[in-house]
Amino acid sequence: MALWITYEMTFYYVILLRLFTNARLLLRCAAMTETDCCVLDEEDFRRCCRLLLQRSEQLRDGWSWEVVQGSDEGYLRKTALRSVPDPQTSTCSSRPKQSKEEPDCASSLVPDSGRGELDEEDDGSCIVSEGSSVVLQYEYHILYSSSYSTPVLYFRAFTLEGRSLTLEEVWSFVHPNFRLCLQNSPLNALSQQEHPLLGQPFFYLHPCRTEEFMKLVLTAAEDKHRPMNYVLLWLSLVGPAVGLDVPLEYCIEPQPSDPVSDI
Amino acid sequence: MADDKDVLRDVWFGRIPTCFTLNPDEATEREAEPYYLLLPRVSYLPLVTDKVKKHFLKVMKAEDVEMWFEYEGTPLKWHYPVGVLFDLHASNTVLPWSITVHFKSFPDQDLLHCPSNSVVEAHFMSSIKEADALKHKSQVINDMQKKDHKQLWMGLQNDKFDQFWAMNRKLMEYSTEEGGFRYIPFRIYQTSSDRPFIQKLFRPVSPEGSAHTLGDLLNEMYPDALTRDGEKKRYQVLIHGIEPLLETPLQWLSEHLSHPDNFLHICVVPAPTD
Repeated sequence: MALWITYEMTFYYVILLRLFTNARLLLRCAAMTETDCCVLDEEDFRRCCRLLLQRSEQLRDGWSWEVVQGSDEGYLRKTALRSVPDPQTSTCSSRPKQSKEEPDCASSLVPDSGRGELDEEDDGSCIVSEGSSVVLQYEYHILYSSSYSTPVLYFRAFTLEGRSLTLEEVWSFVHPNFRLCLQNSPLNALSQQEHPLLGQPFFYLHPCRTEEFMKLVLTAAEDKHRPMNYVLLWLSLVGPAVGLDVPLEYCIEPQPSDPVSDI
Repeated sequence: MADDKDVLRDVWFGRIPTCFTLNPDEATEREAEPYYLLLPRVSYLPLVTDKVKKHFLKVMKAEDVEMWFEYEGTPLKWHYPVGVLFDLHASNTVLPWSITVHFKSFPDQDLLHCPSNSVVEAHFMSSIKEADALKHKSQVINDMQKKDHKQLWMGLQNDKFDQFWAMNRKLMEYSTEEGGFRYIPFRIYQTSSDRPFIQKLFRPVSPEGSAHTLGDLLNEMYPDALTRDGEKKRYQVLIHGIEPLLETPLQWLSEHLSHPDNFLHICVVPAPTD
């Protein structure tokens, strides 16, 4: 059975799983903004970001809007500390064996034994045994891709001493549940890329499949006549894979608040 | 037109004479001779510098190290085509292009890592896909099979013009009613700002139906690059090392002067002061 599970099936299965777990999120989402289903133009993007930012300020969730010098373009930014199991001391019972070879960073960091390790009865959960944890600094940027008409998530990660994490290390901190989905991407879903506005190396989640899975989710929401904040919804689907959680409170009706920041 | 096909060949076979020298601080007991090479403009540094690595590793004791390149203090971004790096940093300088080779102190705040050619392949294919998203809403690239994608990559990697273009011509097609691609894949580079490049949506045809030119694109995206009447020329606008006329239709440029990644890479550099 595992043999003919294609990339598409696995990917959508995980997305649908998240959809169901996010069902409360979907159903409780108060009217935030209407989006022309599936297509996000730049103006929509900025509007969604403004709303997200407004809610973030109320929740003190740490998002800010950064402007690019000399232009009207900008992006959402957030830094966060993240505690992860120290790979040296922790083990995960359903975690694939580490390959002994030099990892070929782009094509696949997860060794071939990975998929075979999860048998059909395995619910994919990872039991992390006792070990010390490591605190890392993550910095997340949400940009708009005009080529794909979607948001894109860029991020970088550092140890507390300021050393940049390698792609291999970042990959190792992706939760095993997401690894299965990401590893089968034909386009190396998680890779290093030059930040299009800052010019520095970041990691990013490739946006070419975003429209596809957002379509699934948005048509479901449309059927229920639930207007959605595209950016918020997208973030709640892709963020957790790289340690960025979106609290449910984002979807609870906001109280009358302070003036919105000007984006 | 027969002439147009020649342009494709001229672009593909463009070369830059380059001299590679080892960073003097990394010199060992034995003096390292500089290494000379003709670099293809349309390729990428990691694909064409295996011999450079072998040559310098002979005099260094290092193993399993990541080689990187620098020109006059600027680390060279391997994920840009060679020709773009040259035009941006060293056009109007005396040939050969002098590049310094490093094996230590990899600048990970400036450069992406490149542990193998499959990383180059991923970047290359990623650009092609993005270009097709702009040109055809990804329809053409998605209709191709995996082996077709591989053919594009192998054509580039092995310097096989015919193999590459047998597949790439599909990415250059458009319906006659449209008059051109949906949007033109382009990037405008300049050294004067932190921003690595300008890339936005731009149609090849105006709403009235007239063809947009290179001048129209610059006027919209980077008006400073254009010389106003009576002014002295401040900038050169280079594509593959030449200055195309500003009146050239953008659609034509996109079909003939794009790089193999299907993007028009345009460098705006200060005009030489004689």
